[in-house]
Amino acid sequence: MSEPILEMRGISKSFAGVRALRDVSFRCQAGLVYGLVGENGAGKSTLMKILAGAYKADAGAIIYKGRPRHAASTGEIIASGISIIYQELALVPQMSAAENIFLGREPRNAIGILDLGQLHARSQELLSRLGVALDTRLPVGELTIAQQQLVEIAKALSQDADLIVMDEPSAILAGSELDQLFDIIAALKAQGVTIVYISHRLEEVFRIADEVTVLKDGEVVDSRPIGQLDRHTLVRSMVGRSLDEVFPQTDHEQGDLVLAAEDIATDTILDGVSLRLHAGEILGIAGMVGSGRTELARALFGADPLTRGEVRLAGKSLQWQTPSQAIRAGVALVPEDRKSQGLFTALSVRNNITISILSRISRLGILRRGQEDKVVSAARQRLSIVMTSPEQETQTLSGGNQQKVVLAKWLETAPAVIILDEPTRGVDVGAKFEIYKLMRQLNDRGLAIIMISSELPEIIGMSDRILVMNGGRVAGELAGEAVDEERIIKLATLGGAEAQSA
Amino acid sequence: MTSRWTKRWRLRKFVADYGVYIALTILMLAAALLTPKLFAVDTIAVVMRQASQLGIVAIGQTLVLLVAGLDLSVGGIFIMTSVVVAEVGNGRDEMIAPAILSALALGALVGLGNGLLVTKRRVPPFVATLGMLVLVKGATQAYTRGVPGGFVPEALGIVNQSWFVLSVPLALWLGLNALFIFVLRGTSYGRRVYAVGSNIEAARLSGIPVDAIRISVYVLGSLFAVVSGVVLTGYVLYVDRFIGSGLDLDSIAAAVVGGTAFIGGRGGLLGTIAGVLIIQILSTMVVLLGLDVEVQFIIKGLVILGAVMLYSVAAPES
Repeated sequence: MSEPILEMRGISKSFAGVRALRDVSFRCQAGLVYGLVGENGAGKSTLMKILAGAYKADAGAIIYKGRPRHAASTGEIIASGISIIYQELALVPQMSAAENIFLGREPRNAIGILDLGQLHARSQELLSRLGVALDTRLPVGELTIAQQQLVEIAKALSQDADLIVMDEPSAILAGSELDQLFDIIAALKAQGVTIVYISHRLEEVFRIADEVTVLKDGEVVDSRPIGQLDRHTLVRSMVGRSLDEVFPQTDHEQGDLVLAAEDIATDTILDGVSLRLHAGEILGIAGMVGSGRTELARALFGADPLTRGEVRLAGKSLQWQTPSQAIRAGVALVPEDRKSQGLFTALSVRNNITISILSRISRLGILRRGQEDKVVSAARQRLSIVMTSPEQETQTLSGGNQQKVVLAKWLETAPAVIILDEPTRGVDVGAKFEIYKLMRQLNDRGLAIIMISSELPEIIGMSDRILVMNGGRVAGELAGEAVDEERIIKLATLGGAEAQSA
Repeated sequence: MTSRWTKRWRLRKFVADYGVYIALTILMLAAALLTPKLFAVDTIAVVMRQASQLGIVAIGQTLVLLVAGLDLSVGGIFIMTSVVVAEVGNGRDEMIAPAILSALALGALVGLGNGLLVTKRRVPPFVATLGMLVLVKGATQAYTRGVPGGFVPEALGIVNQSWFVLSVPLALWLGLNALFIFVLRGTSYGRRVYAVGSNIEAARLSGIPVDAIRISVYVLGSLFAVVSGVVLTGYVLYVDRFIGSGLDLDSIAAAVVGGTAFIGGRGGLLGTIAGVLIIQILSTMVVLLGLDVEVQFIIKGLVILGAVMLYSVAAPES
């Protein structure tokens, strides 16, 4: 075997007394694809941030291209050929794709003036290395997320990257976009570029990785070629639990019709959706990002006003103008983007949990602390939220605990219908399992649940019925035996009519 | 295990929570050495009276900052208040109540205008309240044609009454602080103010009437400015076109030095009280040391920049 391009030896790192990494070793041969997997909080991102120079390791050594690497600035590290593509893309939305790719290193002509011709020509060349066509003149803000990611990859190539780290690149992609990403990874590999692919979606790792390293609680628990692994062993080493136990089963009875929507549309892509939801039922909503799933949730919640159609809750017709009306009627929405729409990160756990029920725990507008304490400690127990005290700021909680706080807030409103938009995004496998269990418990108590998700195993494992959306409409409904991944993908990508003829 | 990082993190938290009180203590120690006259009863009374003036506006400014807003229009409200009190009161003591009520009503209108511009028209607070400042100043000048008429009723001089150090303005300042510290911590309204400032979209989706909260805060901000303006007018007992100049920016400075964040959702009135005292003590020390008034601005500027730098160091790593 040839010399490794990268070797990280015995890396340890602690934050605020909490150990994030302990004696982690990780090595890469040039031109291979490495899967780095583990639950959220396992230390994947921390390890890569140390590689990128964003954090400094407490102990350990990094040997890159045969030479020990000492403290260096992120700029020097990029120049040495290491590029990291973070989940939250670092592009300037107002600038064109080409300007973003060469930001700070723009080609100039003889007298030092920006050479626009060169800029676009070289950008096109980089993108064609990736096998994609894209108008490099368009502002990045007008591109799709998938296209923006391509611009990031092209930017990495423009910096002559030999090693590209992709941090959960699939989290923002869906369906065909993912296939395109995998084609690009294969192309880069063929050009000798080493890829470190961070993910917690195992299917992807099995599709593209040559070797897999599993991190758990900051330590390497497994590292071997993909051929020596199967899904079961991989899941067990990640969580210490096997795959069958992930989706808790239940045999609850389906209740009465709770919520019905008739041909609803809003000023968004949402264009005529009808659905029926029963007490004790989980209705899964599948579809690609941008298919109108989130817009459906917002319409049912009164966050976007209806332009046509009707929503009925327990038989009563509703014309919601604001979320507060929906909340009073018994509908709750756990939004997709926790940080920007769900959580008050600067506020305490206490303030987050009771923010929607302040009138219930106050008299004449004055809060009754005793009542609030009861609510908060009951929620903490029920959802097993891990925190140091109710006054802890929620931004210092883990993703899973943050999501539990958001869920607790909504459960306090005693909803009849709860809409969960990507309930397990950015949540580690352990907390995921707890959220699934909670959903079943709520079901058993007669709550009706709408769950929007991009993760097919989750949709299939949890839903009683599945609506697949495409272009703002329902492309098809699947239940029982008819549910399988392939059908869902077909409906989501092709839409209703074409999927049938295909 | 205590790594270097841990220590730094704890230091940050400490600075964010207690920095302003430590700074105030150090400043007072420095004053004891450099300008012991500051601690004479008479001087303390003057400092506290001026601090109250600034402090009352700063309560409103803190509320506005908490919802990620900003109120530059308070400077216009001082002048407007002074003119209204003189015009309506016109030297007659029995007209004091109607005069103050008129000023409060007009102030509320200005605050409502600020709030509507910011919420319904989505004008950035800086621009909306700057526009309102110019508008209110302009309208006041157009009305008076530059020569304010009327007389401030003599009885308004009651604000100059004091019992040792406790003057009427100081009692007002302390009372309003007590009331609004309770409002922010112990009422639904206070919780909603913090929630709107912390994450406006999450607040909206949590069923909070986001626009109503923001408008109410701007109205309160203006009302506090009116109260401060009335106190100031009672102090000088004549109408002055430049009355209260500088208090508007000082009120922002006091809140920020006291730890209330420009991005909203963080901070509170206790910090603002300390911020007000820091600014007022500094100004007084400059005078006692016999330095030029320009030095006062330089020192004020340095203190504000220093505070902002400290808080940015103290901010959580993004």
